[in-house]
Amino acid sequence: MNKTPYLPEDATILKITPMTERETLFEIELENGNTLGHQPGQFVEVSVPGVGEAPISISSSPTKDGNSFELCVRAVGNVTNILHGLKEGDNIGIRGPYGTGFPVDELKGKDVLFIAGGLGIAPLRSFINYALDKRDEFANVKILYGCREPCELLYEEEIDGWKERDDIEYLETVDRCPEGVCWEGNIGVITTLIPGIDIDLENTYAVICGPPIMYKFVLMELDKKNIPDERIILSLERHMKCGLGKCGHCQINGSNAEYYVCQDGPVFNYADIKGFEEAL
Amino acid sequence: MKIIKKDDLDSFVDYLIGSDPREVVGVKERGSKYAFDKLKSSKELRLDYDVTILPPKKYLLPQRETLLKFKSNDKIKTEPVNEVNGRIIVGVHPYDLIAIEQMDRIFSEEPEDPNYLKKREATVLIGVNMKNTSERCFAGSMKTAFTQDGYDLMLTDLGGKYAVEIGTEKGKELLKKSGVALADAGEEDKKMIEEKKRSLTFESKINFEPSDLPELMKSNYDNDKFWEENADNCYSCGTCNLVCPTCYCFDVKDLMEVTLKEGSRIRQWDGCLLEHFAEVAGGENFREERAQRYRHRYMRKGLYLHNRFEDIACVGCGRCSSQCVPDIADPAEIFNKLKEGKI
Amino acid sequence: MKQKIKPKVAFFDLAGCEGDQLQIANLEEKILDLLNLVEVVSFREVMKEHSDDYDIAFIEGSATNDHAEERLKEIRKNADIVVAIGACATIGGVNSIRNKQNHEEVGERVYGDNAELSELYISWEKAKPVDAVIKVDYKIHGCPIDRDEFLHVVESLVVGRVPNIPDYPVCVECKLNENVCAFEREEFCVGPVTRAGCDACCVNEGTRCWGCRGLIDNPNEEAHMEVLEEYGLTPEDVMKEFDLYFTWQKEARENE
Repeated sequence: MNKTPYLPEDATILKITPMTERETLFEIELENGNTLGHQPGQFVEVSVPGVGEAPISISSSPTKDGNSFELCVRAVGNVTNILHGLKEGDNIGIRGPYGTGFPVDELKGKDVLFIAGGLGIAPLRSFINYALDKRDEFANVKILYGCREPCELLYEEEIDGWKERDDIEYLETVDRCPEGVCWEGNIGVITTLIPGIDIDLENTYAVICGPPIMYKFVLMELDKKNIPDERIILSLERHMKCGLGKCGHCQINGSNAEYYVCQDGPVFNYADIKGFEEAL
Repeated sequence: MKIIKKDDLDSFVDYLIGSDPREVVGVKERGSKYAFDKLKSSKELRLDYDVTILPPKKYLLPQRETLLKFKSNDKIKTEPVNEVNGRIIVGVHPYDLIAIEQMDRIFSEEPEDPNYLKKREATVLIGVNMKNTSERCFAGSMKTAFTQDGYDLMLTDLGGKYAVEIGTEKGKELLKKSGVALADAGEEDKKMIEEKKRSLTFESKINFEPSDLPELMKSNYDNDKFWEENADNCYSCGTCNLVCPTCYCFDVKDLMEVTLKEGSRIRQWDGCLLEHFAEVAGGENFREERAQRYRHRYMRKGLYLHNRFEDIACVGCGRCSSQCVPDIADPAEIFNKLKEGKI
Repeated sequence: MKQKIKPKVAFFDLAGCEGDQLQIANLEEKILDLLNLVEVVSFREVMKEHSDDYDIAFIEGSATNDHAEERLKEIRKNADIVVAIGACATIGGVNSIRNKQNHEEVGERVYGDNAELSELYISWEKAKPVDAVIKVDYKIHGCPIDRDEFLHVVESLVVGRVPNIPDYPVCVECKLNENVCAFEREEFCVGPVTRAGCDACCVNEGTRCWGCRGLIDNPNEEAHMEVLEEYGLTPEDVMKEFDLYFTWQKEARENE
């Protein structure tokens, strides 16, 4: 048989955990019994035969127990909508993992400031849980997480655990809270959390993931904090059709360089893409 | 170098059509234009053509190609598909041979693309030096009018006879097996080839060295006014992408039979000029404006693929230019204007 | 792929030639596959029975009078999914050519001197596509529709995905098919601004694109008008090129 990178591995949905109206967490295992072998920040192409493929970032840490991995999926297109209709035990296809992950080794011994907006928590959670599982390999860990409304917060139970830990700092906020919803936390966009945090300028890396509009404002705030561009890591969303650096859909450019997000990213050092009008 | 009489070349092509198990395709008339198509007889072959509507990339990266097949009973079974037909392509111009060499580099870069590479392996390329050039061809100034490699055999029309250059063992075997009569080329023949090459003229050209293109493009990335003005009449129809011998972007989509029991995953040529090319699932479009998409194509031709593979990804065939209905896609004109600092 | 639902479907027609329903009636062996996917409860062209209990309504033809509006509102109430089929229903089609003409003259042309008295001539001044009257969920374009595209839409709705309807011009399909461009044959073509999905069938057959699938979402009309004039059409002729199928869409775009 031809070996082709376009052929997905058979995989089974072990567990489905609805999280919000639009987002569901899928626990998935490859049928060949292998672990996925991913790095935090990488993505897979999820295949539903007859419907298509969608690139989805891996939301679990490679340090998680067992062979399975987790994807947090927002129902936003054909593949993701159909996924939301599947049941535990159903089969899907998986290609990957693809792309470059977060530079976990480079960040060892450093302070890490995680900033997640909305669904951006999904890829960051992979790194956050990695850092929590290997807590002594990293210095200070701070997590900032923002959503539009309280009902959109993901991983609530797990985050309750983060809140209780005294070896990390966790802050969350919502842009707004509709009347009648119980919310005692912060209200305001995520950038409002940044001025108040203490940063060791010599030792801090910021790791960011969120919608395009969030990057713009978060980067402005981080600039005010004088965090150098080389110590800002971010993850970009593009529609990778092949995942192999061929189909051209995820290419981003500036006048100096161009990247295939599926191969050169989705995780980038901000210094490498700063000023790319197509990147952010 | 060998010499083959015109009649013997016809017999050679007819021999291939009749006896070789591979499909033989070549340049034929299509309306007032030319196209690569299956040959039934050497009489159909037009080695004096100027340019074809589509480049021969369609045989290596077909317009639509099945990657996977699905069958569903209790459980869905997925099988990889790679439809490889052995094929002899007759009459490929040098600029298209150079474009194929670029595609070879792209698809053999890790992770390799077996759907392209297996087709490429099963292909024999018989090139022909240009006898006529199309009005918009500027291969001369792009240094793509001639090539020393990328072919299995290369023909040059010397009037009543052809010079045959043997590029590979594959090409040599093909000639040998056919038993076609060949003579060794003499000094006169070699002179004649040089003369033919010298006398080839192009109506269009770039007025500078193609190696200057990457710098030129880099320094004009932010020349918004230029890109906006020139993209004003762009239809975003993707014609310039689709007819380009070095454009290889594709879309991947699934098809289903109405029985819902069978389906397939296919890839289809796509183009960065099309409006939704850089759109993501949430609706965000990272090249929303016509001018951004228009610029992207020239950047890819002159700069991006050069950064990645050291290739100038425009071979000067002129297809984009001649097939653009509003006539705004002539790279020679755009490159020259940029060089001269005009809008 | 698994079928999620076996919906009940109904077909309706307003002002139009019923050619789209004919395409469906003529699906031949595939009609059996279709009937495995859906239950047809109303289809005047092929059956006597009718039921108002349906999930998906396919509507052909343009809305041209109050009666059509009432029917459409009723259909919208009954159906979960409304699909407009064919140019008359999706973009106003050839019916809307008259939208720019004098309403009374149109009546006289059809009904002669009795137009004013004719009970038959009860028509709005403008023929409208279905979505000008009620919300439409999906559109199957074309004059007539393409059978395979119809099947693709049905099969998509049954498994719960959004059908894949192109939003790029016919030029794409012409190039994939390696057609000689109609302009190269000294014909005028509206393919550069017309939605693809027909596999460029008219150009494949040696003619030109007439625009039956309507304008793409973001056509460069100005560029195309300029091109047509450059190719020798008078401004009047250019407008005619755009009026055959685009009248309603053009007016809607101008009022945006």
